[in-house]
Amino acid sequence: MIPSSSRRAILDRIHGATRNDESRYEAVPRNYIHHGSFDADGRIHLMTERLREYGAEVMETSPVELPAVIVHQIQLSGRHHIVVPPGLPAEWLGSGVNWKLDMGLSHDEIEHCGGVTTAASGAIADSGTIVLHHGPHEGRRLITLLPDFHLCILRASQIVETLPEYFARFPEPPRLATYISGPSATADIEMTRIKGVHGPRFLSVIILRDDC
Amino acid sequence: MSAPVMDPRIAPPFPEAALPILQNTQLRKNVAHATDVIQAKRGRLVAEKADWQELRESAAAIRAHALANLGAYLEEFETKCTAAGGVVHWAADAAGAQNIILGILREEKANEVIKIKTMTSAEIQLNPALEAAGIRATETDLAELILQLGNDEPSHIVVPALHVNRKQVREIFAERMGLPQLSDDPEALTAAARSYLRRKFLSVPTAICGANFLITETGAVAIVESEGNGRMCLTLPRTLIALAGIEKVIPRFSDLEVLLQVLARSATGERMNPYTSLWSGVTPGDGPQRFHVVLLDNGRSQILAHKVERQTLQCIRCAACLNTCPVYRQTGGHAYGSPYAGPIGAILTPQLEHMKHAQSLPYASSLCAACYEVCPVKINIPEVLIDLRAKLVDQERAENKRWFDPMYIGMRAANFAFASASRFRVAQKLGQIGAGFFTDKDGWIRRLPSLGARWSLSRDLRGLPKQTFREWWAVRERGNKGAK
Repeated sequence: MIPSSSRRAILDRIHGATRNDESRYEAVPRNYIHHGSFDADGRIHLMTERLREYGAEVMETSPVELPAVIVHQIQLSGRHHIVVPPGLPAEWLGSGVNWKLDMGLSHDEIEHCGGVTTAASGAIADSGTIVLHHGPHEGRRLITLLPDFHLCILRASQIVETLPEYFARFPEPPRLATYISGPSATADIEMTRIKGVHGPRFLSVIILRDDC
Repeated sequence: MSAPVMDPRIAPPFPEAALPILQNTQLRKNVAHATDVIQAKRGRLVAEKADWQELRESAAAIRAHALANLGAYLEEFETKCTAAGGVVHWAADAAGAQNIILGILREEKANEVIKIKTMTSAEIQLNPALEAAGIRATETDLAELILQLGNDEPSHIVVPALHVNRKQVREIFAERMGLPQLSDDPEALTAAARSYLRRKFLSVPTAICGANFLITETGAVAIVESEGNGRMCLTLPRTLIALAGIEKVIPRFSDLEVLLQVLARSATGERMNPYTSLWSGVTPGDGPQRFHVVLLDNGRSQILAHKVERQTLQCIRCAACLNTCPVYRQTGGHAYGSPYAGPIGAILTPQLEHMKHAQSLPYASSLCAACYEVCPVKINIPEVLIDLRAKLVDQERAENKRWFDPMYIGMRAANFAFASASRFRVAQKLGQIGAGFFTDKDGWIRRLPSLGARWSLSRDLRGLPKQTFREWWAVRERGNKGAK
């Protein structure tokens, strides 16, 4: 069968099968919980707890101290060469680290960097999920994938409690999105959870208290 | 080790395939352990969700709504995906999908591909087709890699190698990766896979993936995973091909607020899986610059036409029904002779085969309905099982060979005997005499002859009592009268 005729045949069969169906999108029941009950501190606390359950390192800091904390966390990780997306605020990048601005770095160049520092697009406390929409602050998808260490700066105001709250915040769907809920992991061998199969093995999160 | 047969057209019937597996205590231990662990985690995380039933209700409604409007949603998905730079193909059947994919690979001059775990590719037997065309496929999911290197087949939708333990994995990796010193520590085994695959990720320019969801509103594809092999395949290669069943569409981006919540909890007992990727078409400067979606029918539009069976297509492949099924938990997946095992496989596989193959699968169930209870999209699997059984019986009734079928003759004989009290009495008498030959001294029947042997293989039966109920009643009545 030539491809275009497959299309017609499939659609004809589908239309035949659903001819008498009436189902409106608005009629889908949505009685699940949409809004959480925590205040800002509660959300941050829950997010922190969830991230720690995943084995991620979490700390809070103020805007003033942020650059120093970033450098400190990177030095603690023992890494020197750090990829950063092009839109990350220049004042975040303190001295003492070899920053590699991603203006089209090759796979090898990214691979050979010890880590990456990015911002986030949002976060969901209930599941400890970090959201990247891969704009100028989060960078293209590859830079948060190949390096072994990901330091993510999350603004406290970006944290919502429930997944529906995240979707309500972004009525305009992103072209690209990655939801990260803990470091790469597998349980394929005897259900033993092993961290770091392919993605970064070490996830470190700095919660920036831009809300106080 | 010879590979289990997972092609429903040539696989042996379920009871036949299950028999040797039931004698493999190692495999049964592995399956029991894995399903116990996932079930316990799932149970904890479902219990913490106060709105679990409401989420299920919505998830089922979203999926049912998408199916009721499938044609319109697919056409809109095609428009949106194309506008975003993707190329959409339509495959009526497995051969059609193979041809489309092989055509794309020829154009790319590809002799090697990396793959993200996709059950749909197993459904269309893609790997053998690639091999025949001289294209080497490397599975990048850890479990799938274990199976590929071990010449084995998936036995579970979510954790396909759950029947293999660490010692077996060590042996496979040591031999196939040339690492004789490898230990059987899961951490070391995972590290071995990491470095083995890293070279592939960085060098192979073409990848094949499945799809968890196709989002109509944006023309986006969603992939849900844990390891990061998915993200590697979705971002490093030059060309990406997604193979997706036509039933995978959902209307809107925000419908994920329901589906992602129920999927991770049901599949792996996590609040959210480590990585979820969403992308629309191609994005300049980020990821593959050539992107194809192959929409596969392969029997799905026919399932859609049947009222009861349609719910089969609501499935989001979480495998919760496998983990809870008392049959699957004993046999594991290989006995089902299909990439789709367990309760969902028992209803999906025969339908994909137009009820011409895998006819034993609707009977591979005790109808206990545990699968229905855990299903996050509320597929009433027992209802579909019974309906499929009825269809199979109708089908058999229409066939001429029925007078050679001992089951049919037995049923006709029972029908005749049960229809009259006197015939029933005679049958009971004959039964008492006949059963006497097979009853052991302690009053138990352990082995029946001929066809009955299959039944008594796994069951003991109490011998028929000397007195039937009617006889006992008659004696009792006489005694009562005498006492007055």
